[in-house]
Amino acid sequence: MKKQVLSIRLTTKYVGCPILAPFFWRKGGKPQNYFSAGSIAAVFLAFLTLSAPAQDSTNKVIAISGARLLTVSHGAIENGVLVMANGKITAIGEAGKVTIPKGAQLVDAHGMTVYPGLIDPETNFGLTEIESDQNSNDLAEPSDEIMPHMHVADAFHAETELIPVARLNGITNAVVAPASEDTIAGQDIFIQLAGADRDAMILGRDVALAMNYGAEQRRRGGRGGGKAEFPSTRMGLITQLRQTFLDVQDYIAHRDAAAKKDDKPDAAKDAKPDAKKDDKGDKIFKRDLKLEALIPYLKGERPVVIGVYEGYDIETIMALAQEFHLKVVLNHVTHSQEVLDKIAAWKVPVIVGSIYDFPRASERFDAVYTLPAELAKRGVKIAISSADAGGPVSSHSSRNLPYAAGFAVAYGLPYDEALKAITLNVAEMFGFGDQLGSLDVGKTANVVIANGDPLDVRTDVKQVYIQGVPVPMVTRQTKLRDEYSK
Amino acid sequence: MHIFEPLRPVARHLPRASKSARSIIAVLFGCATLAAAIPAQQSATTAPDIVFKNATVMTASHGTIEHGSVWVHAGKIAGVGATVNAPAGAVVVDATGLWLTPGIIDPHSHSALDNDVNEATSPVTPSMHMIDAFDNRDKALYQALAGGVTTELLLHGSANMIGGQAVVIKNKVGLDRDAMLFPNAPGSIKFASGENPKRVYGGRNQLPSTRMGNFEVMRQAFEDAKNYTATFDAYNAKVAKGDKDAIPPKRDLKLEALADVLRGKLYVQIHCYRADEFLTEEAIAHEYGYKIRAFHHALEMYKVAGKIAPEDTAIATFTDWWGFKDEAWDAIPWNAVMSMRKGVRVALKSDSNDHVRRLNQEAGKMVHYGGATEDEAIRMVTLNPAWIIGVDQQTGSIDVGKDADLVLWNKDPLSTYARAQKVYIDGDLFFDVSLPGLGTPHFSGVMHGDNEAGSDDEEDGQ
Repeated sequence: MKKQVLSIRLTTKYVGCPILAPFFWRKGGKPQNYFSAGSIAAVFLAFLTLSAPAQDSTNKVIAISGARLLTVSHGAIENGVLVMANGKITAIGEAGKVTIPKGAQLVDAHGMTVYPGLIDPETNFGLTEIESDQNSNDLAEPSDEIMPHMHVADAFHAETELIPVARLNGITNAVVAPASEDTIAGQDIFIQLAGADRDAMILGRDVALAMNYGAEQRRRGGRGGGKAEFPSTRMGLITQLRQTFLDVQDYIAHRDAAAKKDDKPDAAKDAKPDAKKDDKGDKIFKRDLKLEALIPYLKGERPVVIGVYEGYDIETIMALAQEFHLKVVLNHVTHSQEVLDKIAAWKVPVIVGSIYDFPRASERFDAVYTLPAELAKRGVKIAISSADAGGPVSSHSSRNLPYAAGFAVAYGLPYDEALKAITLNVAEMFGFGDQLGSLDVGKTANVVIANGDPLDVRTDVKQVYIQGVPVPMVTRQTKLRDEYSK
Repeated sequence: MHIFEPLRPVARHLPRASKSARSIIAVLFGCATLAAAIPAQQSATTAPDIVFKNATVMTASHGTIEHGSVWVHAGKIAGVGATVNAPAGAVVVDATGLWLTPGIIDPHSHSALDNDVNEATSPVTPSMHMIDAFDNRDKALYQALAGGVTTELLLHGSANMIGGQAVVIKNKVGLDRDAMLFPNAPGSIKFASGENPKRVYGGRNQLPSTRMGNFEVMRQAFEDAKNYTATFDAYNAKVAKGDKDAIPPKRDLKLEALADVLRGKLYVQIHCYRADEFLTEEAIAHEYGYKIRAFHHALEMYKVAGKIAPEDTAIATFTDWWGFKDEAWDAIPWNAVMSMRKGVRVALKSDSNDHVRRLNQEAGKMVHYGGATEDEAIRMVTLNPAWIIGVDQQTGSIDVGKDADLVLWNKDPLSTYARAQKVYIDGDLFFDVSLPGLGTPHFSGVMHGDNEAGSDDEEDGQ
């Protein structure tokens, strides 16, 4: 009985069965508590999750022939040939113009369409399993607004079932970001949707800073319910951010000064680790993980992804970003129709989405549907995310990423731009443009074979390759399908 | 009155109430003021005939006609085929290169209710009427119309085991409230099960906090309804015997509504996810003698479809939404087609102000997930949801005699690229993408509603 009470308390909002209870029922066991439930289930999940490309098979040479190749970087090739070896694309071109190495495994893909693995620019893969179950969520740390020292890499659960589900529809890479409650929510990772373990799947740690600005981040109800706390207004949010950035500049100055002092041999010798002051009465430099985390972003070395919806909020946060020379990627911008020219003038890339966000009551039904096209028309480099409308990112829907891009095409975005917006553009925004996002020699062989247009809802993905290795087209969901189709 | 009166199909496969019970109920409803009078169709008689020519006509009932024509007369479909006998004066719509489908129908919506979705103060609230919360100026209706949606079933939420009574609307954006009500549509009542009721009431340390509690609350409600009916039967019998001193029992709106369920006067629409719960729900329905019209969400139907198909209970399901709660953990996108292949009538629904705008694409996904034919796929968002609502004799397919609820698309409506060009309801044009502004011939002004999501499933009763 005590444990039941505990479980209710732990899941105050959703009093329900523990996240993975169904597994126990099937196994005939009873969860003793959450922790044993979690650990056994983790084993079960790991079993279900596809094993990584085996080491020996990465050396296999595979040649896909006869397909329509959507290269993204240099147009479409009808009846093309693509060769993969050692995890890379080693040749691509028209049939007859590409030499297929001896001993290569031939994949006849006549009638099929082949394209680079899709890249979702914003997900919470590995930070959530079941949305309503708090125990399976590591989405954000809302105890403070300024949390740059939260590293998504520390929470990323590589065995999440969400990953194979997305991969089955041709998603091979993704950015994983924390949720949006904080103005500075943490640092993103860039992942590959297959790999032996977490380390093999994380291609880049701390690749970008996740920032947010707007109504949502105000602490009107305190931090986690209750009375309003600072910052409860946009004025508060901005002043807090500005103070933080100034603190970082101050921190850099002191750190550099301390480092200079450290260079002098006598100072280093005299310094005692636990001393407050050294012999000359100078303060010993004490590390501050929060401020330190922001340094590469204030130096403009890595992108800052700013989630912001309203036009007037975009103008405010961009002014602050420019004041501190941040390298900005705008995210969402779904109510920004009045500042599109400004966005173009700033020359910042934009993750548009959700394309399904709702127009205001006074707007035409397609006011948001047309945004990708309107931005691209103005020369803005865009990515498209998989989010559904009106809420936080739901990476359970990441498999619908290509359809969001297709919908942008329906509302005026040129097809090639749409495909770029979920492949090459995303790779470039996050520093992987030389490795991913197009079918080019030397790039990682993340390749998808489908029976038609990748952006059409009717199209079925037949095979996904990650690092040149065919990924088994199996998920927990296909297993259920097959089990009940008998 | 109409929303309480079932059409014949309900009575056909449900136990008939005794004559005396019926007369009492009729008397009771004679006094009821809740029912809105639904006016006869407007403007149809004076509108000119319309002929769509050279369209790809997806009829939803009898396949696709390439280069087909459809003739609309007096708000109804008067002809469909390779050629039609339209009069010379008919307005011709050249649909060369375009697709024509029946209007899209959403059998599970909480739009336009200003978040008055759940009366989450008791697990049994059958006398709630969604029409009382219906805001016909909500922008969600317009945005759905622009996605080709012509009919919606606006349901009570899922906080309560027995929720309230639905309203069926035709999406005639710009007309007044009563003109948007679907004429002569049967009444539906929303039931729920599973996590939501037990979360809402368990969170307050009330019954139900478990699935055991959930179903017991339901059984007790029907026991109460049976006693209530018996009291009226006894009173009726006394009156019939000429007892002039007989005192009529006190009316109770809640029990009246439950009695209507037992008498088959309301379609029962049940929010239900898990395979075991479908079976329990059917067993309780058998025990108390009512039929379940449809399971909504029904994400695990693929596990027991063979057992449910003979019950003639349909499903209104999501295509690929999953993992948002424990009871959605076994959701698979092949559910709809697998259940259909086992004989279950399958509709797709939105439960969302977002997805309602692109149900045609959701249907397109069924080609991908399970290999539905285009005919089967389009039926999942037209004729099958019409059946669930009980308006399949009036709308849901392109057949002679049916309401001219039609959508003209620029591309195959099952593709990602389709946009609704024109939307007709009862032969009248309610959306035209080529018009400036909102594209609504009957509406110009300010809409309501920045309550966004339109789903009850996550946050109800919080």
